[in-house]
Amino acid sequence: MPTQLYLTSVLNRLFAAPVDRVLGALHIAVKYPQAPINNTFTMELLAFALLLLYFIAVRVSLSVEKPGALQHLAEMTHEFVSEQGEQIIGHGYERFTSYLIVLGLFILLANLMGLFSPWLESPTANVAVPLGFALVTFVYYHYHGVRVNGFGYIKQFLGPVWWLYWLLFPIEVISHLARILSLTVRLYANMFAGDLLTLAFFSLVPVGVPLLFLGLHLGVAVVQAYVFMLLAAIYLSLAVSHDH
Amino acid sequence: MYNTMRTMKYLFMVMAAMLLASPAFAQAAGEAVSPWTPIGAGLGMALAAGLCGLGQGRATASAAEALARNPGARPGIFTFLILGLAFIESLALFTFVIIFLYVK
Repeated sequence: MPTQLYLTSVLNRLFAAPVDRVLGALHIAVKYPQAPINNTFTMELLAFALLLLYFIAVRVSLSVEKPGALQHLAEMTHEFVSEQGEQIIGHGYERFTSYLIVLGLFILLANLMGLFSPWLESPTANVAVPLGFALVTFVYYHYHGVRVNGFGYIKQFLGPVWWLYWLLFPIEVISHLARILSLTVRLYANMFAGDLLTLAFFSLVPVGVPLLFLGLHLGVAVVQAYVFMLLAAIYLSLAVSHDH
Repeated sequence: MYNTMRTMKYLFMVMAAMLLASPAFAQAAGEAVSPWTPIGAGLGMALAAGLCGLGQGRATASAAEALARNPGARPGIFTFLILGLAFIESLALFTFVIIFLYVK
């Protein structure tokens, strides 16, 4: 049995049997039938639930005359992301703001979770979670690229002159796929290395010094969430640009 | 418009369902490890960290210089600085991940 956080063990006690059945139906081998739900998945669900609660709370308490603290927070987030979106994407950035906000907030919350409390851990320190974010972003920006440019979207993959098309097309395809890799590894390795670094220095000097690295990890967590959002915005802006 | 929104909704629901099925990563175990592996890992990480530091130092130096010349351009410079640092840093992190994959 793997070590489980409290929430994971609760979920496993409640849902182990149906989850096993679903995974069995999908032909996924379960290593521990008593505990098919791992910590990463639980933490992701928790982040999802917290964000949902936050958005519902903001929506319910929305008011023009007396904006509450939650509304101020939500407006600040929205303003920040809109500003970034306007700078990077330019005209027509409004329809991407919701996606960018959710992406940024989810990653920020997921990154900070491991720092907040010993009963939680960062889901982003498992490589599957950043891969999920990267894949969703990849599909999203290609969808919008095709939506805006139509069939002409393929020109972005072909380069400037026709006699180089055969060479540039594979290169461009590989570079687009490498974006998934780099997005995934950047977020995953940062969070994972941060945890490991704190642990390593804790084993060297158990007093005081690890606190510095916790502070560094806090900074890295915020910056990585920002960078992921920023890169998603940049890829979107490249995909929906007309001047190619 | 409404139809696209609905298609998008279903697309994202499917994506979310796929996201939930986090696959267990198979780990190769029981292979003989060369005695040179830790030294290679240390050297590799040291090279990556040192060169990454050099690159980030250059990037930050130019950003600071640009900021000193034109303090009004702070937001634009800041965005590019963060982006550049993230890209440079990710190269060192690739090394880290590869070392972590091969050295158990």
